[in-house]
Amino acid sequence: VTTRQLLLGIELLVLLACLVLALSVIWSKVTRLRRERRTAQSLAPVRGALIELAAGEPGGLRILRSARGKTADAIDEAAVALLAKVRGEPANQLVTVLEDHGALERAKAEVSHRSPVRRARAVQLLGLARVEDSTALISEALEDEASEVRASAAYAASYLADPWLAAPLLRSVGTGEGIPAGLAADALLEMGVEIAPVLRAAMRNPAPRTRMVAAHVAGVGTFVQALPELRELIAADPDVTVRVEAAEALGSIGQDSEVELLARHTRPDQPTDLRRACAEAMGRIGSPLAHDDLVHLLDADDPRLAEMAAESLVAIGPRGMATLDGRRDEPAAGTALVLAALRAGQR
Amino acid sequence: VNGFRDGLSAVVQWLYDVTSVPILVYFVVINLSFLLLIITAGFQFRRYLRMRDASVDTLGGELALGVSVVMPAHNEEVGIVTSTTAMLSLRYPRHEVVVVDDGSTDNTFGVLREAFDLVQIPREVPMDLPVRAEILGVYVPRDGHTRLVVVRKANSGRSEAINAGVNVAVEPLIAFIDADSILEPDALLRVSKPFTDDPTRMVATGGTIRAVNGSRVVSGRLVRLAMPTQWVARIQVVEYLRAFLVGRTGWSRLGMLILISGAFGMFRRDVVVDAGGLDPDSIGEDFELVLRIHRRMMDEGRDYAVEFVPEPVCWTEVPSTLSVLARQRRRWHRGLWETLWAYRGMLFNRRYGRIGFLALPYYWVFELFAPLLEGFGIVVVVLGLALGMVNVPYALLFLVLAYGLAILVTLAAMSVEEWAFHRYNRWRDLLTTLAAAVLENIGYRQLTVWWRLGGWWASLRKKEQVWGVMTRAGFDEAAD
Repeated sequence: VTTRQLLLGIELLVLLACLVLALSVIWSKVTRLRRERRTAQSLAPVRGALIELAAGEPGGLRILRSARGKTADAIDEAAVALLAKVRGEPANQLVTVLEDHGALERAKAEVSHRSPVRRARAVQLLGLARVEDSTALISEALEDEASEVRASAAYAASYLADPWLAAPLLRSVGTGEGIPAGLAADALLEMGVEIAPVLRAAMRNPAPRTRMVAAHVAGVGTFVQALPELRELIAADPDVTVRVEAAEALGSIGQDSEVELLARHTRPDQPTDLRRACAEAMGRIGSPLAHDDLVHLLDADDPRLAEMAAESLVAIGPRGMATLDGRRDEPAAGTALVLAALRAGQR
Repeated sequence: VNGFRDGLSAVVQWLYDVTSVPILVYFVVINLSFLLLIITAGFQFRRYLRMRDASVDTLGGELALGVSVVMPAHNEEVGIVTSTTAMLSLRYPRHEVVVVDDGSTDNTFGVLREAFDLVQIPREVPMDLPVRAEILGVYVPRDGHTRLVVVRKANSGRSEAINAGVNVAVEPLIAFIDADSILEPDALLRVSKPFTDDPTRMVATGGTIRAVNGSRVVSGRLVRLAMPTQWVARIQVVEYLRAFLVGRTGWSRLGMLILISGAFGMFRRDVVVDAGGLDPDSIGEDFELVLRIHRRMMDEGRDYAVEFVPEPVCWTEVPSTLSVLARQRRRWHRGLWETLWAYRGMLFNRRYGRIGFLALPYYWVFELFAPLLEGFGIVVVVLGLALGMVNVPYALLFLVLAYGLAILVTLAAMSVEEWAFHRYNRWRDLLTTLAAAVLENIGYRQLTVWWRLGGWWASLRKKEQVWGVMTRAGFDEAAD
């Protein structure tokens, strides 16, 4: 083989690849447009009934339930999308449509399908439809090898809201790639007070992501039982992000007893972000007990910290406002007073 | 004359003998690396599409961190109110907009004050990041609820304006956005998603930038996407597709993303502050910041991540004239050279792992030196042809192969775009894009080689950098 022949051969291959890619671009567009058109056609006769059902008017329910073939497939796809948006009776009726079409039974079977997309969709549908006996399947899916299946399972868990799923969720969130922390947090927040022991244990987990999610959920969900663990996190967690989250959680839970701990972590030897988070948290608690510590912070060398302390003084009420009024010529106090007046519509 | 010709022929022959093998190796390796990036990006898109097909597209949520959108503005009187309103109306659970008026000499601040009824507050701006220019005032809307802060400062350039904005920002995440960028309504949700997914590790994310020329933009929102009418801009559309969709997605998948575009990037505020913010003396300041963050994280032995979001989220007007494009490319290449040179200590240093052993050498060899080698190749081949030393059929074969491979990479990026995002709906736009992928290699590519060499030369001469004026057509009607 001569060099020229070799070059020609490679060139032909490259040109062929270019042609294939160019055709694939066109083919991809054509097939997508055809698929969209087919779906729209299948859905057209029942679109009105579906929209009415989602809006709480079940007039067309019978038509939807009796649909078969491609129309039923199109309805199922649209119903799954709608299930994520509606609640109450319309959601229940959409579930009956899916049940009649056999979609829920198929989903149970497809949880172990070879295709990760099919598994993910199946798991998600079981959650959206709140299929009660699917908790074990969802738990297994939280440890699936495919990230999309794990994410779908976390999403489904937020619909099932079964506290039994809290432990697998928190285990998965800290394992390697795991599940997205945001999805885990949203799911845990749906599960109620029963998950408190699991949350407390998770705050001692070696994975910082797990500790952070647990601290966040404890704060937003006002889990008072988790206060001892939150105190430990704020004081000694090796990850500053987790410490900041713990400070915010203590602020959200809003117990007067935490003011002293928060004030201690506004000292200059603490990380800047933690000091600021603690000053803000003291304002969220809104306790007069924080007054003296916040006044002390008005003289902080960090202007942002001083301003946050001033804002927190506004939040604790008349005593804080009176203090700020006496120092209104200082930037931090002056800014907090102006902002408070603007919010109250007084300027 | 014959003597000169013989001498020149001897020199050219010597050049051929010395460089033919290294250039051939370079040619093979650069194309293999492109192929590898395409395959890697393909895996990332497969994952992305699977996630989308599985309908797991939950954005926001309780754990979504607050974002401060920092928007530097210098003489943006015409569009600043529209841009600010568009930023304020982005979908996000908790975000503020910080506009930094960098010593505008037009009425930028005046129009903002009027539109948002701004009042001055006596805030002392923390100097978390050093800012040399004087801060003239901080303003907020009188309604007390709109989350807008306007900072007026003496003019000192984009980097210092952003640093001043970071100092004023109160949210844990910072998004740097140019005032002339158009964002998708859920841009913040998408680019912040990696932070929500992995809040303890993620330190920076970059979003895909696309060209908006030719599209219709109303009130800071893209309402109809179309290809530009000028070929210079059309070719940049395919360039952006290739650079973002294949290049950065591939690097991100490999955990080696070292470049986040200045038009739209998101960072953890504390990390930017620890790193010292944008360097006001750097020309490639965005590239420099990301490299500094990498170096700092690895010096401290921290477990961290930098990720690229392939979803198109930010639209910007690309140069539509050759003169403006030339200035931009010179500046980019100069920034690349100066930053790579400044961080040469990371090269092949074990402490910096993959970044030091793969990403940085790649940028040195295949980004920085590429125009030098391509320019050398063009000159030597032209000389050889003129002197009758080149076998014309061979030269043509090689030329077709070189440009054929370039077209292949672009077409791969286009396939991904059509497969995953299909943002260009009209058949006409698709066919124009295909044509631009081919035409890019005739004239445009050679011109960019020349401009990039110009950037390098200016840097070596330590010529003072002049930013020049980016002539923009504006957005409120069809841009372009």
